[in-house]
Amino acid sequence: MRFSEVELGDDLPETHPDISMDKVRLFVKAAYMDFPRFTDHEFAKSEGLPGAIVPGVMSQGFLAAMIHQWAPGAKIHKLDTVFRTTMVVDTSATCRGAVTDLDEDHHRVEVDLTMLNHEGVTSVIGTATVELAD
Amino acid sequence: MILDLHTHSVRSDDGRAKVDNYCQWIRKKELPLDGFVLTEHRQYDDTSDYRDLEDQYGLLILKASEVETDYGHVLVFGVNEDLTRSFNFTRVDNHIGDVLTAARRCGAVAAPCHPGRPNVGLFAHYERKGPIDGVDLVEIYNGGSRPGEDEMSEAEADRFGYRGFGGSDSHIVSRIGYAATEFDDPIRSIEDLVSALQAGRCRARTFR
Repeated sequence: MRFSEVELGDDLPETHPDISMDKVRLFVKAAYMDFPRFTDHEFAKSEGLPGAIVPGVMSQGFLAAMIHQWAPGAKIHKLDTVFRTTMVVDTSATCRGAVTDLDEDHHRVEVDLTMLNHEGVTSVIGTATVELAD
Repeated sequence: MILDLHTHSVRSDDGRAKVDNYCQWIRKKELPLDGFVLTEHRQYDDTSDYRDLEDQYGLLILKASEVETDYGHVLVFGVNEDLTRSFNFTRVDNHIGDVLTAARRCGAVAAPCHPGRPNVGLFAHYERKGPIDGVDLVEIYNGGSRPGEDEMSEAEADRFGYRGFGGSDSHIVSRIGYAATEFDDPIRSIEDLVSALQAGRCRARTFR
């Protein structure tokens, strides 16, 4: 995806990341954040959560991956998220994005980001500033 | 005339939308909006001037506030100096009666938003503490509602005899216009908006 190919209002192709327990376990081990609230449903429930939850940085990673699937090689200058509710491990997730601004001088775009949980509820909102090739 | 009565910009702590980006999004997407109201959390923005954007995009941009009370969040339209001195906009535990009374005394309109939301909505508080006097208008369509919340808001508003309005509660650009309010008469100023809400010459619309 090149800057010249992008228009205000374009939607990024939707993604459906794998948030199964196997994937979350791999992530938390690699990220040195192997805590039971991410990997043990019963423990998470004992803390008042609906089940083991997907780490916030993992959700950010899925949103960044969506951007790179849309525009391989793009440089993400900023990715800013607000977490509104939890994503429960072993459910399903949907990542969406939309181009909301174009910076012609620097070939950068502003992208709205949302991540929905299995009930269609928005769990994460955010924005990204992405530099695209000419 | 259709206005989105509930939006947040980067001036809200959890808002990520620039006001000019809202404007260009509305025009690019040809949304059926004639304007929107910025309802920043726990503050009233009395400094920003959006007249240039209004002229550039042909949109009405008004300012209000979303304050927090012991019965949930409340939108306040027609904020003036008297009202900002009547209670502390920054607090999260204002007594809703104080907010409703102050708004009425100062010629403003105070209306609970997303009242059907569990835990933080007006009607969830009604279940625990009983109804209160002074409410006559609530946001029955909220663009951020989960499935079932707007339906509950609409049903309970009907049961209590409250009038309804709509707003997107957008915090990012692409969510503006998910819900809005249609007015019978032209709205050109915050005074027009307050009068129309007080008179009930409007209805909630949803575009989700």
